[in-house]
Amino acid sequence: MTLHMILQTLQNNPLAAAIRGESDPIQLTTWIFPIIETLHVLSIAVVFGSIFLVDVRLLGLSERDSTVSQVSREILPYTWTAFGCAVLTGSLLFMSKADQYFYNLQFELKFLFMFLAGVNMLIFHRGVYRHVLDWDGATRPPLGARVAGGLSIALWIAVIFMGRWIGFTTNA
Amino acid sequence: MEPTLHHWANHVAATSLSMWLVGREWMIVILQSIHIVMLSVVFGCAVVLNLRVLGISARGRPISALVRSLIPWMYGALVVLLITGALQTIAEPLREFVAPAFWAKMTMVLIVFLLTAAFDRAVRRNQDRWDNASSRPRAAALFAVVSLVLWTAIIFCGRFIAYTWNFYA
Repeated sequence: MTLHMILQTLQNNPLAAAIRGESDPIQLTTWIFPIIETLHVLSIAVVFGSIFLVDVRLLGLSERDSTVSQVSREILPYTWTAFGCAVLTGSLLFMSKADQYFYNLQFELKFLFMFLAGVNMLIFHRGVYRHVLDWDGATRPPLGARVAGGLSIALWIAVIFMGRWIGFTTNA
Repeated sequence: MEPTLHHWANHVAATSLSMWLVGREWMIVILQSIHIVMLSVVFGCAVVLNLRVLGISARGRPISALVRSLIPWMYGALVVLLITGALQTIAEPLREFVAPAFWAKMTMVLIVFLLTAAFDRAVRRNQDRWDNASSRPRAAALFAVVSLVLWTAIIFCGRFIAYTWNFYA
């Protein structure tokens, strides 16, 4: 057995392949990306699922027996906690293929929609929410609040669509 | 692996709906995205509800009020999940049928659905008992933990179908 063959054998063993990140279902490193990705999905699920509940209250579609500020106080801590987890897991995913994602159209659009969702939230808080006590219990909140709720749902759906679409555009 | 699974998969793949879907990647992107939006509604509601049952989130409405407002959203989203999931299965039947993660996921969906329906009924029938932490059945905490674990595992399995199926195909 020559040195070359020994080296080849060593290099071809499943562990070495796994460290290179080549597809071998049993090895750990193959699973790191999917595991972080699933944690990212779980995080954005709580982000969207929770903000959705606040938004439908703003739209007057649900939770009408509670005030808007009650629902916000109860639900938004989940949104922010999950958003922190989404940022953390998202950063790890980004690092793995930074050069690809950075110039990826869907990735850029995802951040545009997230930015717009943030602007929408800011306008809502600086605007109609300042006088929330005037309409807190209204089953049908004022137009500004309903628009903010509707826009929030639409923009977060767009974020999820772009996020999923990214997976179809980069080499897995 | 199992010849019968391949057999069923071939039957589904031969349908005109499957053949229509399979060449259109954008349809798969849309179906998967709607699926994620809806699982977010289900999982978000499950987290809010179950952490409330566990007393981790103390502030907020009584459990019966949460059940009344959240569980209908979960049922509605579940219907859309079944439709978008079925369409994805019809589009790529082999991918789903051969993956153990798919069958594990379906089994857990059935279990967590039955658990949620039972919880829903129990709370609606005896609201005062459930709203008061001291009189709440001890099984409540168990239900909350089990359903959170199941929903998490379901999402894991769902994502892992994509990464594992071709090892069994």
